[in-house]
Amino acid sequence: MKRALSALRWLGIGGSLLLMAVLGGCAASIPEAALRLPESTLEVRSIQTRTLAAPSEIDILTATIAVLQDMEFNIERIEKPLGVITASKVTDADSAGEKTGLFFLDLLCAMGGGSGCDAMSTAQDDQHITLTMVVLPSLARSGEYTVRITIQRVIYDKMDRVKVLERIDDAETYQQIFDNLRKSLFIQVGEK
Amino acid sequence: MSRSIQLLPLLGLLLLAGCATTPANVAGTGTQLETRQIQTREYDTLDKAMTIRSVIATLQDLGFTIDQADAELGTVTATRLHEYTMRMTVTVVEKDNGRISVRANARIGENSVTDAATYQDFFVVLDKSMFLTLHKVD
Repeated sequence: MKRALSALRWLGIGGSLLLMAVLGGCAASIPEAALRLPESTLEVRSIQTRTLAAPSEIDILTATIAVLQDMEFNIERIEKPLGVITASKVTDADSAGEKTGLFFLDLLCAMGGGSGCDAMSTAQDDQHITLTMVVLPSLARSGEYTVRITIQRVIYDKMDRVKVLERIDDAETYQQIFDNLRKSLFIQVGEK
Repeated sequence: MSRSIQLLPLLGLLLLAGCATTPANVAGTGTQLETRQIQTREYDTLDKAMTIRSVIATLQDLGFTIDQADAELGTVTATRLHEYTMRMTVTVVEKDNGRISVRANARIGENSVTDAATYQDFFVVLDKSMFLTLHKVD
């Protein structure tokens, strides 16, 4: 009986510790600056925005959709009155170069008579990319349209665990999309 | 019987209560009204369409991508993936007196954002964006 009581006492202490852990985990910690503009706002805005001339809103929207299709995105939603186009794609997060390297590593390992050569299995992280394009008539100049793109990605490992959550900010990626958009617009207008 | 045994059912209840954040008063007085108050601002500077445009620009400035937008219902839903996942829904409604009401809801991960300061920060950014839209700055 004494032993049973002692076990229950320990259970009580264990339970209290668990409770503290659970309650501690519940404390919803809201990051202080969650909705404050970061200092880089203006720079990021200029990387993500261009003003383009186009004959009509339909022309620029059609050209934008074509560019997204060129880049192998699926269009998820379009809200024409607001010029909002949402698109996404799931791709392999590993570069082709990295994969080739891993393949040769396995090949060398197998040639050397090794077993369990599975360097390739360390590859194949999936990345889910979401992209929003907002295409609106310029407020400042008629006949021109402002296009702003925002891109984010989540990288999952093979066990579907989130490895990376990030906004894509590099100027080169955006520049490339805008270059493609200009070409697409040129073709679109030329075909008419 | 030991005191710890008597405390066990209480401990169980506390554990079950755990993370419940749903307000007890679902019908909404007190907390609900207060929440609504800190999440809402009224404007009389721009029309509904231009207000939605400013909301979208604000969300993009804050690093969100737009998941869904509806001009008629005035609803914009956006997600930001950066260290943590933050989701916002902003509703723009034209009131009978012609004023425009903007309400923002934010969630971080599984938690609802309830602190007034965070919403205050959002509306500070929106105010600037609306000012730029009003003065026709892209």
